[in-house]
Amino acid sequence: MSYALSTLWYERQRYLPGVLAVGFSALLVALQCGLLLGLFSVSSMPIDRGNADIWLGGPGVLSVDLGTPIPESYLARLAAQPEIERCEVFIQGFGKWSKSNGASELCMIIGSRLGKEALGAINALTAEHRALITEPGTVIIDRSDMERLGVKQVNDMAEINMRRVRVVGFTTGVKSLAGPYVFCSINTARVLMHYQRDQVTYVLGKTRTPEQARAVVARMQEEYKNVSVRTRAQFSFDSQWHWLTKTKAGIALGYAAALGLLVGAVVTSQTLYAATAASLKEFAVLRALGIPRWRMQSLVMTQAFWIGIIGVALAIPAVYGAAQLADYLTVQVLLPWWLLAAAVGITLVMALGSGLAALRSLSYVEPAALLR
Amino acid sequence: MLDENLSSPLIGLHLRRQFGEGEMRSVAVNDVSLEIGAGQMALLMGPSGSGKTTLLALLSGLLRPTSGQVIALGEDLWALSEQARENFRLRYCGFIFQGYNLFAALTAQQQLEMILKWGQGVSSAEARRRASEMLELLGLGGRKAHLRPSELSGGEKQRVAIGRALIKNPRLLFADEPTSALEWSHGEQVIELLRNAAHETGATVLCVAHDARIVPYADKVFYMEDGQLQDNDELNALRDGPLSNPVLQTPLQLPR
Repeated sequence: MSYALSTLWYERQRYLPGVLAVGFSALLVALQCGLLLGLFSVSSMPIDRGNADIWLGGPGVLSVDLGTPIPESYLARLAAQPEIERCEVFIQGFGKWSKSNGASELCMIIGSRLGKEALGAINALTAEHRALITEPGTVIIDRSDMERLGVKQVNDMAEINMRRVRVVGFTTGVKSLAGPYVFCSINTARVLMHYQRDQVTYVLGKTRTPEQARAVVARMQEEYKNVSVRTRAQFSFDSQWHWLTKTKAGIALGYAAALGLLVGAVVTSQTLYAATAASLKEFAVLRALGIPRWRMQSLVMTQAFWIGIIGVALAIPAVYGAAQLADYLTVQVLLPWWLLAAAVGITLVMALGSGLAALRSLSYVEPAALLR
Repeated sequence: MLDENLSSPLIGLHLRRQFGEGEMRSVAVNDVSLEIGAGQMALLMGPSGSGKTTLLALLSGLLRPTSGQVIALGEDLWALSEQARENFRLRYCGFIFQGYNLFAALTAQQQLEMILKWGQGVSSAEARRRASEMLELLGLGGRKAHLRPSELSGGEKQRVAIGRALIKNPRLLFADEPTSALEWSHGEQVIELLRNAAHETGATVLCVAHDARIVPYADKVFYMEDGQLQDNDELNALRDGPLSNPVLQTPLQLPR
């Protein structure tokens, strides 16, 4: 075992605060970013849980929930592309949900085709759900939003944008952000949104193979300037990015993560500094014997590295545990591999930076001080 | 008298070291000249505050003299650059300090290996072998070699510290009160080890001590008082000790 590891293990009590600080930082960074991703993935949910490869909307649409009405006839533009297998219309927009007690809530209306192969119907809608909402004036909401929308059971009535609706079923696990999602047919949605007969919000397309979507999008962007055409991945990213940057939530969460890093860096560097300072006499003997200073510096840096590795190793299970807990509390935390890798990388860099800051204690090593 | 050709491994010439300036000035070492031959263990004795530890620091290249010269193995030590002096210490010098100054987390074996691996780029296997041999020689073979400082007695810790100083076969070995924290029986062992190092490897050993019981083991004894080397009757009386006949050095008279 290396001297650095031997020392860490033997004096683990001394190094524990540093290890915990690193672990805490990694946990905070991963969790904050995962929370952010989870939070904003809600806004792109209709894209991610639907089946469309291409989304065509009004000009300059920033996010999927901010679509504007477009003529249904644009369907033909998409259908004309040779790679397109099929396409259909989709309606999405904010609405005002009025409860039976007179209070109201913002809600997000999603109107889609409901056939077995429909592109716009999200995967949380079962065949039974889809059959039920073909009836005009009926909607489905998520179980988690029942209380918020004042719904107690199936067949409860409410109003959306002054039109009466009947709740005929409940999805499970569809989280909402600004307003609860309300699923219905295209015709119901058109009525609820007060759209004209030929108005929709999006035209969705499916290419024969998903890889063809980029070529179609590139060609249509060139050809049609008064619409926005995007692939599924691009529109999903744009929607999340819009909410990340336009709301201050992203900044607030990022700020918290940065603070966590700062606290971690201070505690870790102080731990290393104190530990090194406690061995100044031993280092002084080595200096007297002519051992070059860089050997001691690399010892401290190696310790910093291992503190980072051990801290991160402790943090990863904790991150998953905390994500589970958040899920239990109906808050979504997304932890893709690249996010974890970035959190680990940032935390390791922080640990090494703390090591660098602790190196100054070695400048007090003075072999002549041993002779007095 | 000093050799004309300055052939001794360790020579101090008109060494002077003062601390502070003006009213606060104190002279720790005042015009001291001495030489120690190869294979000799020299003792540097004197009351506390006499300047003996400062003299050791000057001679070993750790503390720059205010004036005077140190000729070590033919090199004018204080004319070298900082880096060159560090390299000199790396190649030729061993140190034993008053405290044991051992790394708490490392075993006796590791404390010695570290010096070889970090100081001389010796391979791990070679360092392990030489460290084992040295600890064996010091009576710390087998299980003891794998104990940490907290599991060793004071005498054993001092032997590890000596092993750390001897492991690279230094030609100059400096020891500052190596027996002061030990019972006499352990201190005696330590002194014998240092004397053997001088006699068997030809190293030049300079040992600061205040315990007169050590005197019979030394080849040379310097007595220091008020920053200068002095003649001392008590030490003269010890000259005919039971173990050997150290030659008590009278102060050198050098032309200024």
